[in-house]
Amino acid sequence: MDELRTSRFSSRVPQVLKNIPWARVIIWTALIGMVVFTVMPLLFMLTASFMTSRQIVRMPFNWIPETFFVTNFLQALRGNDGSWIFTRNILNSLFVATTVAITTVLIASITGYGIAKFKFKGRNFVFMLIMATMMIPFEAIMIPLYMVTTSFKMQDSYMGLIVPFLVSAFGVFQMRQYLTTFPTEFLDASRVDGLGEFQIFWQIVFPNCAPVIATLGILSFRGQWDNLLWPLLVAQSEKMKTIPLYISKFAEEKLTDEGAMMAAALIASIPMFIMFGALSKYFIGGSAVYESRKG
Amino acid sequence: MKPNSLTHKRKYIGIERIQARWGIAFVIPAILFFSLFSFYPILNALYTSLFDKRVLSLLPPTFMGLGNYIYLFKSADFWNSVRATFVFTFGTFMPMVVVSLAFAVFLSLVKNKKVRGMFQIAYYTPAVISSVVAAAIWLLIFDPRGLGNQWVNFILNTPGVDNKWLADATMVQLSTMIVYFWKYIGYFIILFVTGLSTIPSSIYEAATIDGANPWQSFWRITMPLLKPTVVLVSIMAMLQCLKTFGTQYLFVQGGAPRAPINVITLNIYTTGIRNQRIGRASAMSIILFIIMLIFTWVQFRTSKSEEVEY
Repeated sequence: MDELRTSRFSSRVPQVLKNIPWARVIIWTALIGMVVFTVMPLLFMLTASFMTSRQIVRMPFNWIPETFFVTNFLQALRGNDGSWIFTRNILNSLFVATTVAITTVLIASITGYGIAKFKFKGRNFVFMLIMATMMIPFEAIMIPLYMVTTSFKMQDSYMGLIVPFLVSAFGVFQMRQYLTTFPTEFLDASRVDGLGEFQIFWQIVFPNCAPVIATLGILSFRGQWDNLLWPLLVAQSEKMKTIPLYISKFAEEKLTDEGAMMAAALIASIPMFIMFGALSKYFIGGSAVYESRKG
Repeated sequence: MKPNSLTHKRKYIGIERIQARWGIAFVIPAILFFSLFSFYPILNALYTSLFDKRVLSLLPPTFMGLGNYIYLFKSADFWNSVRATFVFTFGTFMPMVVVSLAFAVFLSLVKNKKVRGMFQIAYYTPAVISSVVAAAIWLLIFDPRGLGNQWVNFILNTPGVDNKWLADATMVQLSTMIVYFWKYIGYFIILFVTGLSTIPSSIYEAATIDGANPWQSFWRITMPLLKPTVVLVSIMAMLQCLKTFGTQYLFVQGGAPRAPINVITLNIYTTGIRNQRIGRASAMSIILFIIMLIFTWVQFRTSKSEEVEY
């Protein structure tokens, strides 16, 4: 598929360059300029995390730190109050995001399978209903959602952080689209072989959805890793807070050193950078989709 | 599974029934979930918006009809939020769509597949980090002595000028737009790259044989065929911008003036959670919902009529 696309475009390239000789220069300048724009702030985060605050705001800025000021990282982990809550908060984020990724994949795939491969009354209605929830912005329902969570006594707990995101309408949509093309003959053959419906889902259908599962899992993980608004409402005690809350609290404290701020930001980004490094094709493939329910 | 003899027919119906039950069983958990965590809250917000409800008040909520909405429509603070939201939305999504389309086209002209992949990864990386981290980085760049001023002064050759990125009412709006643009530009470039890759090359080849130059090919072929993608991406970008929260929140926490960037979501948060006026916050939520519903409706209308087949 990719090979085809490449050849498609590369066949056009010589024409373009022959007809407009200066096009190449302009295009490459623009492409590289954009790289500078997108990458510079990230490099700034990296280099500033090793600097003292005086070095960070120095004019002109020196891109290579004179000393590797590791105290920043210690300060970031320790916090201004010396509570070391950062570690707990980043573990919270990892736990919540991982759980949401798993439940989203599981529930979305079973629902998508039910809608795609079973005929029952009201099937289309159910699908439309789930799709309709994509139109409801999270910001519009956060306060009633908070009250629902409180009435279940789930505020300030992992349950409260996780339950409202157990599955996403977009996930159901994606799984349903993917499974619609799944060959029904496989399912029928498995039925003839005497497999139960749940076994068929778990042993035949689920393992065959790997690419879409990866995409959806990453999307859900990232959504929670980035979620600020909901934890802001639900996580009241320090030990239930997630990493975006820690960063925003750290940023507003007067005592916070700029270098320590960047160190905290850098540590908070490492899990996503690792994931992106390892699975970039799923990130980039999966970005062609609408992210619903993002805080 | 299509039996054509009568003997099979009875058994077939039986299987169909069982199948239908399994289908319903598979779908029920999701239905329960969405009823409780999507439909109930939006209906509840609609209901609550008709009451004067406060969180820690001993008084029972009093019914006030459309009172909350009337209050909001008379409130300068709310109109300021509407203004802030729309300024941010249009100021961000329009440059974002134009620039990301241009860069997707540029990328499609890069011959080497590996190099193109590296560009895509470089553009996409900011989208990977969380919006609070993005805001934290840019808060430092926008420091009066920070890189922002140094770069701008270097490019414009105006040494020693402070552009007041975070202090000036206009500049702080521009600053939030820059952060958002920076974070999502790669995401939208890749959406357009995907859209471009669905246009068959045979069309371009035919056009070249007919004597079209690349400029003509772009405006006569790429643009018309890409129009559905452009519409879809624009609406998506618009909806995302309308929901912006993290950047503005962290900027305000970091000491930027609130009023210029007090977007609707931030206002809902402040009114509902900080000031505990749930009724009024719910009314605001419903207004935001309606605004987004209108945009989504426009999206469905346009994307339906614009569908192309090759």
